[in-house]
Order: sequence, then structure tokens, then C-alpha cells
Amino acid sequence: MTDSSSTPANTPGPLPVRAAMDRRSLLRGAAALGITGAAGSLLAACGGVKSAGGSSSAAAAGGTQTLRIGYVTPSTGFAAGFGEVDPFVVEQVTKAVSKGLTIGGTTYQVRIEVKDSQSDPQQAAKVANELIASGVDMLVTSSTPETVNPVADAAEAARVPCLSTVCPWEAFYFGRGATPDKPFTYTYHFFIGVDDLAVVYKSLWLNGVPNNKKVGVLWPNDADGNAIRAGLGPILTKAGLTVVDPGAFPTGTQDFTSIISTFKKSDVEVVNSFAIPPDFATFWKQAAQQGFRPKIATIAKTGLLPEQVEALGDLGPGLTAGVYWHPSWPTRSALLGLSSADLAAAYEKSSGNQWTQNLGTTTALLETAISALVSSGSPKDRTAVANALGKTSIDTVVGRLDWTSGPVKNVVAEPLVGGKWVEAEDGPFPLDIRIVENSGYPSAPVAAEDTALS
Amino acid sequence: MRLLDAVVQGCLLGGQYALFAAGLSLMFGVLKVVNLAHGDLGILAAFAAIGLAAGAGLPLALAVGVVLVGMLGIGAALHAGLLARTTGALPQISMIATFGLSVVIGNALQEVFSADPRALDLGWFGTAGVSLGGISVGLLPAAVLAVAVLALTGLHLALTRTAFGRRVRATADDPGTAALVGVDARRTYLVVTALAVGLAGLAGVAYAASSLVTPLAGPSRLIFAFEAVVIGGLGSLWGTLLGAMVLGVAQSVGSVVDPSSGVLVGHLVFLMVLATRPAGLLARARVRA
Repeated sequence: MTDSSSTPANTPGPLPVRAAMDRRSLLRGAAALGITGAAGSLLAACGGVKSAGGSSSAAAAGGTQTLRIGYVTPSTGFAAGFGEVDPFVVEQVTKAVSKGLTIGGTTYQVRIEVKDSQSDPQQAAKVANELIASGVDMLVTSSTPETVNPVADAAEAARVPCLSTVCPWEAFYFGRGATPDKPFTYTYHFFIGVDDLAVVYKSLWLNGVPNNKKVGVLWPNDADGNAIRAGLGPILTKAGLTVVDPGAFPTGTQDFTSIISTFKKSDVEVVNSFAIPPDFATFWKQAAQQGFRPKIATIAKTGLLPEQVEALGDLGPGLTAGVYWHPSWPTRSALLGLSSADLAAAYEKSSGNQWTQNLGTTTALLETAISALVSSGSPKDRTAVANALGKTSIDTVVGRLDWTSGPVKNVVAEPLVGGKWVEAEDGPFPLDIRIVENSGYPSAPVAAEDTALS
Repeated sequence: MRLLDAVVQGCLLGGQYALFAAGLSLMFGVLKVVNLAHGDLGILAAFAAIGLAAGAGLPLALAVGVVLVGMLGIGAALHAGLLARTTGALPQISMIATFGLSVVIGNALQEVFSADPRALDLGWFGTAGVSLGGISVGLLPAAVLAVAVLALTGLHLALTRTAFGRRVRATADDPGTAALVGVDARRTYLVVTALAVGLAGLAGVAYAASSLVTPLAGPSRLIFAFEAVVIGGLGSLWGTLLGAMVLGVAQSVGSVVDPSSGVLVGHLVFLMVLATRPAGLLARARVRA
């Protein structure tokens, strides 16, 4: 009965704390985010180090060798929605490199081995260490700090190169104890951070639908909620928005009356939520029942996957959310030979499911990993591959990823744009997310004008 | 005004807890079994209703009706297959058996429906509200409260006014003696378990309409239902209704004082009742169901 968490405690929303602010807020944010990271690193320390250097297939005879990429991802558990695209992307990438890679005169076959983290930090560390022990040449991982951080910790401890995404970069970097003076050697990352969120939110709320600039925030009492309170709150206030914060509510709250009446009393016209999906749904339904309808509602953690918004019924369309990849982006995958639009179409045709934003990040993740193996010149040399990751600059479906100019070493901050959920005009799926603001990534075409919630 | 609003919303919330707690209370009162899978059975019903309505395209009322009948059957099967083998033995054994069932249901749901949160869409009714003297009352929570009160009243009348109720009370008091005068205890237990699981199904469906459900949401539902039963007095149906209201109002008023401690205040009230009146608020006036 202790396992009563019906709900994703830490779905990946964009979140944590911006580093540069001031030291105190940085430490606070890092501490908040560090909880999962610490658990992961303990496990990594136990099981990971001894297996360092065991590259089993390195001595394979003849001109052909095999490169093994271990991919740890949540196929089940609360974050399973993020892993839905994995089988498709892995199949496409495997097909694209089926002729093998010729690097420095040797031809290498590539094998991608997928392991399920079950959305759980301990399981993620366990399967990462199993992959390391079996001698993989590189690890890749994606989707939420619960999976990404323990895998990256295991890789860093075992000195295996690792690339990751879909976890706010501050959580990956500060949450695992790095500082600009003491960065990581083997683990690299690309994803959005708090600054990218702030760009989208300021654009939506200050320059979008006219409103009174009063933002009611639904920031829960969990690691993400508190990190956002410390990191994003001051940025919004400085930008001229009035933040109405009724306080950190506990996850699993069933009655939002007091928060709704605070919003009503303060004349809030903009709502921002980092609540987990069931809590946001409870809040949003009670808000409708009690006659509170803001002009704008921008949600993180709930607005990423179409199923989560569909589950809100009539209250879903009109919500705005951050978008870290969209089929309309003018980008393409050189490896797959597909544009973003083609990639989404191919996925929908093959799987029967609607595209999700992870289709872009997962494709970019595997493409970048293969590019680093090639550019290292010596893909069995782990230090060479890690160094190659640090020098990588590549055009992917999520845009240009350039590790030589990131906010910190090891990290590329990916751009974010603002999207709005609307009822689809055609096609087999009920909802569609349209880009309504692109200040963080002007190459993304704006497809619709943002309008107030009715 | 704000306080009054909180009390009203707390009572509406209490309606949801009462509906979940009704079956739990009934089963404990009669079988002396704490069914730890009660919340999960509710979530199972919610997913079944969502599957039939959204997946198979059945009209909502029909889907809910089919599910509730199905839940009665599952309850009967639960008793015949599991509880009949464990009642009479140490109470811990049936508790562990239902705990195991809880784990099985949660994970089976996750396997079939994936981890995606889902909801039962009632259309306009789900989000409509009326303003009564400045206090907004949602139609759906009001309907849930009404159903909870009706269910508990109906149960109370059935137990106190009918021949079936007499048999249930006799079996609850002393199954051995009841059997001597011709009451089939096993059958009575079976019917009571079926009713209790049916009520869990009703509560699960109401919950899926008010919020989102995820496959592993059962145990968190169980905690609030369990607290409502204990606050009111174990085995007392009116006590369960009162306990659910107390819990709902405590949470709602608590979060007016401080939004971060609403749920905590509910737990504190529960502990206070346990410390001062361990038998529950209505222990004396208890219906011996």
C-alpha cells in the first residue's frame, strides 16, 4: 500500500533551475533535482566501475566488427508514452546503417540494443550496468530524469560514452553534480532548459493574446514544481508579469477550490501548470465547474502527448504547451533521408499512432550517436568517441546540435516553441498541436494565431 | 464566504470518498475482511467503462450498466474463488490475499491499457456548474454526492428492514448460530461481496468522470476510503458517510488555510479520531451490519 503513487511523480516537463541566476537559487534547484540523480549514482558506483573497459567484441577477427549501442528508455511505467516511438525509430536507423559503417578502413556492423527502464531509476541503473558489463561501445538514453540520470551516472562511472535527451538539461547537468569547472567527461546531452521555457512563456503571455499579465501558477510541491518556483518565477516577475502563487500543493490533491478562489480573487487571466496529468485534470474540471475560465492556460507535463490532452475531453483544445519538435519544422534527418514531415507520416503509417515530439528527439539521438562513432575515427576507443561527442556539430530533425557552443560543456540547449492544441481538421486523429509562436526558433513556421480560451 | 465555499466543496468531495468507502465498510462490517483491492477494483471498473464507451463505442449509460453488472459478477467470483477460502482463518490471510489481488489488477491494467491516463467523458455535464448564493456547485460532484447518499441509505434500509438484511446481520454477528437456524452464511457472504464490489465499480466510474485515472491509481483511492470508514466507525454505514464528509471538509478547509497542507489536515483529523475515539465517531449508534 506504500506504493500508492498512482501517478507519475516526475514526468518530464520542461523545468528546473537556471544556473546563472545566483548561487543560492542554483544550489536550491540542484538540490531539488539531485534526489533521483543521487540514487542513480549510488547504484552506478556499486555495479558500474568494475566493468569498465570490457570491450568484448574488440578483438573480433577479420575485417568486420560489430558496434553495439545500448539504448535505455521507458518502454513501460508512467513515462511509457515517451517510449512509444522507440521500436519504429530503432528499426529505421538499423535499416539505414544495415550496410555497415566504414571507419578508418574497417567495416563495422551496428547493433542497437533496447532495454526498458520501467520509468524507474533503479531499474534504469540496473539495465545500464548490464549493458556496460556486456561490453557495449556506447549508451544512449531518453525521457525523464528518472531514466536519463541513472544511466548517465552509470556511464560516467564506467567511462562509457553516453548521449541523452528529453530531460531538462539543468536536471541532467546540475542535478548530477556537474559545475562549469568540473564538467563530465563521458556523458553528453541535448534538450531544452528553463531559459527556453521562459522565452516561450514570455512570448505567449506578453505578446500573444491580450491579457492583464496576471499569471496564476499551479506549481506542485515536488522536485520539478519547487525548482520551477525558484528558477522560472523570478524570470517571469522580472519580465513584468504578476505571478499569483497560491502555494505548493501536494501531488494527489483532490480539491482545488481554495486555489481556484485565489485565482478568481486575484483576477488571474493566465494559468501555468506543472502538475502531473491527473492533478491537472482534476483542477481543470473543477475550474470549469466553478466558473473560472482564464484567457490562456499553458501547461507543462500534461501537454506533451496527444493522449494526455484527449483525456481532458472538451477541455483539452485551446491549451498551449511547449513544443521541442514538430513535423512542420524545416529540418531533415540525413541518415534516414527523411524530412520532419516525412518522418511523422512514415511513423503514423507504420504504427497507426499519432506522432509525438519524441519522434524527433529519438531520431536525433540515434543519428547523433552514430555520427560521433564515425567521426571518432576509432569507434572502439571510448575516450575517442566521448571526445568526438564533445566536438559534434550536426543538423538533425530537432535542429542544429553543436556541442562546441552549448550553455555549458556536455550540453546543447535545444530550442522550444509554443504550440496550441486544436481539434484536427482532417486525418484520423482527434487533436493536433499547431505552432502559435516561434521566438525561440524562428525557422519553425507559425501555423495558427493564438486565440483566447472561450 | 471563503470558508463556507470550502465547506460546501469539501462535502462534495466527501461524496466521492463516501462512494468508495461504502463497499469497503459493508465488507468489513459483514465479512470482517479489509479488502485492500477495493480501490483497484474501482479503477478496473473505470477502465472497463472507458474501454466499452470510448473503445467499443457503446452508449455511456449502457457501458456503465454493463460494467456494474460485471462488477457484481466479479465480486461473487472474488468471494467464491478467494475469500471463501480465507475467511474464518486469520484475518491477515485475507488481507494478504486482497493485497496480492491489488498488485495483480494494477499491473494487468497497465499491461492492457498502457500507462496513459484516461477519463470518462460526460460531455457538458462533466464541467457544468450552478451558482448558489455565490457558491459554485459542480453538477457532477453534486450528482456523485447524491448517488453516495442514496447508496448508503439504500444499503441501510436493506440491512435494517428486509429479510435479506436480517440474514446479513445474523451472519455478521455469529455465522455459526445463524447457520443453525438455516441461514446460508456462505451465500450471504457471496451476495455482500458482490454488492461491495459493485459499489467499488460505481465509485471508480464516478472518479474517472471527475478526474483522470491511471492503472496504478487504486491504492491512493483506498487510503481515503479507508480513512473515511475508520473516522466514521468500522462497520457503521452512517458513520462511513459522516467520516467521508469529515475527511472531505478537513482537506478542503485545510487547503484554504494553506494550499500545501490540505491533504495533510485530512490525515491529521484521521489520526486525531484514532487517538481520541478509536472506535470511530458513530461507534455507539452503530448499525450492526
